Amino acid sequence: PGCGPFKHRVEVDPKFFDKSWKKLDDAIREIYNHNASGLSFEELYRTAYNMVLHKHGGRLYDKLAENLKGHLREMGKLVEAAQGGLFLEELQRRWADHIKALQMIRDILMYMDRTFIPSSKKTPVFEHGLELWRDIVVRSPKIHGRLVDTLLELIHRERMGEMINRGLMRNTTKMLMELGSSVYQDDFERPFLEVSASFYSGESQQCIERCDCGEYLKNAEKRLAEESERVSLYMDAKTADKIANVVDKEMLSIHMQRLFLMENSGLVNMLINDKHEDLTRMYDLFKRVPDGHSTIRSLMASHVKETGKILVTDPERLRDPVDFVQRLLNEKDKYDEIVSVSFSNDKTFQNALNASFEHFINLNNRSPEFISLYVDDKLRKGVKGAANEEDIETVLDKVMMLFRYLQEKDVFEKYYKQHLAKRLLSGKTSSDEAERNMLVKLKTECGYQFTSKLESMFTDLKTSQDTMQSFYANLSGDSDGPTISVQILTTGSWPTQPCATCNLPPEILGQTNMGNADIKATFGDRKHELNVSTYQMCVLMLFNSTDTLTYKEIEQNTAIPPVDLKRCLQSLACVKGKNVLRKEPMSKDISDSDAFHFNDKFSSKLVKVKIGTVVAQKESEPEKQETRHRVEEDRKPQIEAAIVRIMKSRRVLDHNSIVTEVTKQLQARFLPNPVVIKKRIESLIEREFLERDKVDRKLYRYLA
Amino acid sequence: QHKLGRGSRDKVQQFMAITGASEKVALQALKASDWHLEGSFDYFYSQPQISVTNSRHLEDLYSRYKERDADMIMVEGTSQLCNDLLVDPQDVVMLVISWHMKAATMCEFTRQEFIDGLQSIGVDSIEKLREKLPSLRAEIKDDNKFREIYNFAFAWAREKGQKSLPLETAIGMWRLLFAERHWPLIDHWCQFLQVRHNKAISRDTWSQLLEFVKTIDPQLSNYDEEGAWPYLIDEFVEYLTENGCVQRNK
Repeated sequence: PGCGPFKHRVEVDPKFFDKSWKKLDDAIREIYNHNASGLSFEELYRTAYNMVLHKHGGRLYDKLAENLKGHLREMGKLVEAAQGGLFLEELQRRWADHIKALQMIRDILMYMDRTFIPSSKKTPVFEHGLELWRDIVVRSPKIHGRLVDTLLELIHRERMGEMINRGLMRNTTKMLMELGSSVYQDDFERPFLEVSASFYSGESQQCIERCDCGEYLKNAEKRLAEESERVSLYMDAKTADKIANVVDKEMLSIHMQRLFLMENSGLVNMLINDKHEDLTRMYDLFKRVPDGHSTIRSLMASHVKETGKILVTDPERLRDPVDFVQRLLNEKDKYDEIVSVSFSNDKTFQNALNASFEHFINLNNRSPEFISLYVDDKLRKGVKGAANEEDIETVLDKVMMLFRYLQEKDVFEKYYKQHLAKRLLSGKTSSDEAERNMLVKLKTECGYQFTSKLESMFTDLKTSQDTMQSFYANLSGDSDGPTISVQILTTGSWPTQPCATCNLPPEILGQTNMGNADIKATFGDRKHELNVSTYQMCVLMLFNSTDTLTYKEIEQNTAIPPVDLKRCLQSLACVKGKNVLRKEPMSKDISDSDAFHFNDKFSSKLVKVKIGTVVAQKESEPEKQETRHRVEEDRKPQIEAAIVRIMKSRRVLDHNSIVTEVTKQLQARFLPNPVVIKKRIESLIEREFLERDKVDRKLYRYLA
Repeated sequence: QHKLGRGSRDKVQQFMAITGASEKVALQALKASDWHLEGSFDYFYSQPQISVTNSRHLEDLYSRYKERDADMIMVEGTSQLCNDLLVDPQDVVMLVISWHMKAATMCEFTRQEFIDGLQSIGVDSIEKLREKLPSLRAEIKDDNKFREIYNFAFAWAREKGQKSLPLETAIGMWRLLFAERHWPLIDHWCQFLQVRHNKAISRDTWSQLLEFVKTIDPQLSNYDEEGAWPYLIDEFVEYLTENGCVQRNK
């Protein structure tokens, strides 16, 4: 034998196969003994080639298999014999040897791989070698169990805080992966996930007894990070999601309710105490947990509703409308921040919040009135009066958010008009621009109809001012006459209040409860100019002819309604620094038997003294009933108009559908009561706009 | 009404003279027989309802009760009529008779209403009418007729020019009507109205009440809140529930 062209003469040798095989057999042995350097690749290749050429591929293949098995068994024994911690190392070493050997063997038998194997459909050499390794070494009864146990044991130790040989782990799992993904999954991944589940089951049980919610979540987060790192360091990437699911389930999902509801540390506690970090962690952790976010959402929503309800029904809070609204705004700010910082502005959370706010704000039917009073307060006092340095604009925007929650926007409209009128007529608005801004916001929200009357109130004011200017320009210096200031009010635009009677010294037509006047008054030797309301003016003018009057006399002479009169007298006699009248007795409240004296001892540092402006006030109970009654009356025609519109277009419709449609049409302004809708339908039947169907009494027909 | 030709008018006159029937009946019979006089007689005599009433007698009867200065029978005349019939003015049969007459207002009859009404009943004398009283009363027992009479009663009992029925009147009418057609809840209904409602009754409420009586059982077991019943009836149900008159499973 030597190099040379391949000649036929070789085939006649009966011992050809055995001789050839022996060469290969020896070579393989050397390879496994780390003695490959002395071999001639070319010669071996040629040998194998010839064997295959002479149709001995099958026998060669079988012989090879036998051969490999033999070597593998030997290696297996060595691995089995390894003690304790050396087991994995030995396995790795042998694996590395085997791989190297296989590579060489494959190269040698390349021709067989390329020609014989495809046609006989046998497994290629390298692959076959791996399969044999798998079956004889890895899955050998004495090795397999030990292998898995060792791996899991190490992982457990690492979980408990020990340092382990990660490189070894990686190599071992890589080996399993190379043996086939099902090997990795069946032999390692599945048991891994199983023990992990029971590990975390135990861990979570312990932890939840010991820790509060925040600590527990920190721990869960830590564990998740660990597992993720572990996978990236020594497992197949696909295991990452699977182990994450296990941890999620055992640590988070199973204990979810208990965690959220933990007293003094659970979700509600975190919300109350603005624990943003904890909340962020909770949000992130429960992202993947089934129903995680929806549970957080609904717990948050019911908490907000509850605290909101307490807020709006607390009788203490209801005494100060401005404070009431401020608290609502604070609450909104608080939760907006939580949603933004911790819940990454999640829209579904924002929506849940909105729904909760809408729910509790409407539990108190004075909310519309109070919100209007809040705006009134801000527009009077301007930025200087604001509680913090927020721009007025920002405050109004926030108020608009509350406005959107109102179901009875028409009630708000009524009050806003009243309050606006008072502001305008008493000149008590701090910034025209701010007023107009507010109107623009309302118009954007509710449409033109809402604000058209309000806007015309502004126009009237401008007209008044212009007219007054030209009036005074035309006066030829008659400065002794009383100065008057007149406001022009377009009928219909301004809110009318039941215009109470009042005997005015000169006859002035108008809204007697809203105007103001400047009076020159002399106290002893001091002269002051008093800015007073119309009512106050009437009362004070009485004292021109006498120094003392009883309550009854004043009432009779001015014909001012008692409720207003008492308020008026209080502002003249009971306010420190503004007491132009002296009351007898000196009590705080006005009673029918009181007497009033002109207070010539009154003094003030200022020449011009403002006495009691017409301030928008929270309505008294009867006033409130009155306003509500008017709102209800206003709603009736709106409901009827909606019914007629709907019936005109649909012609025939059943009762429930009408109720649904009407509600839909009107809900931007208020929520109509189904009983009221029914009554309106009956009224329309009576007036022959509609009739009942002759056959189906639940149907109504439009009568053209 | 289209104008009759000369020949047709003659036939009408002939028919009336021979049978003694009114112009209205004559027209009906002639039209039914396509303006053949012989055929119209056959038609006339084969119709048992169109019994022989003498228009002359009816005119006389009308004159007996009508006002002296007006062409109407009013309260006095009606009262007299009741006397002659030997019935109480509150007797329900008067309602039935008024219904036949399509009378517009209680205790008032126009000439047309009176005469046509008696004709459709098929009588032309007080004695004959008196004989008919039992069968008239019996008409109330018929479901369809009762419904018509019930609904008729609303407009009939109203004041002229009013849309609704005053409560007292309505209660009186209901008691009258449901005395004949037993409704177990009638007393509760009247009591409820007096205690809670105190306003006039609309036509819709009136007619819907009959539906209520007919379809809903006295224990209200099949009453449906979503049933588009008038608001007053919903309130009545509430009233009954509150006062423990019925047991409802909500």
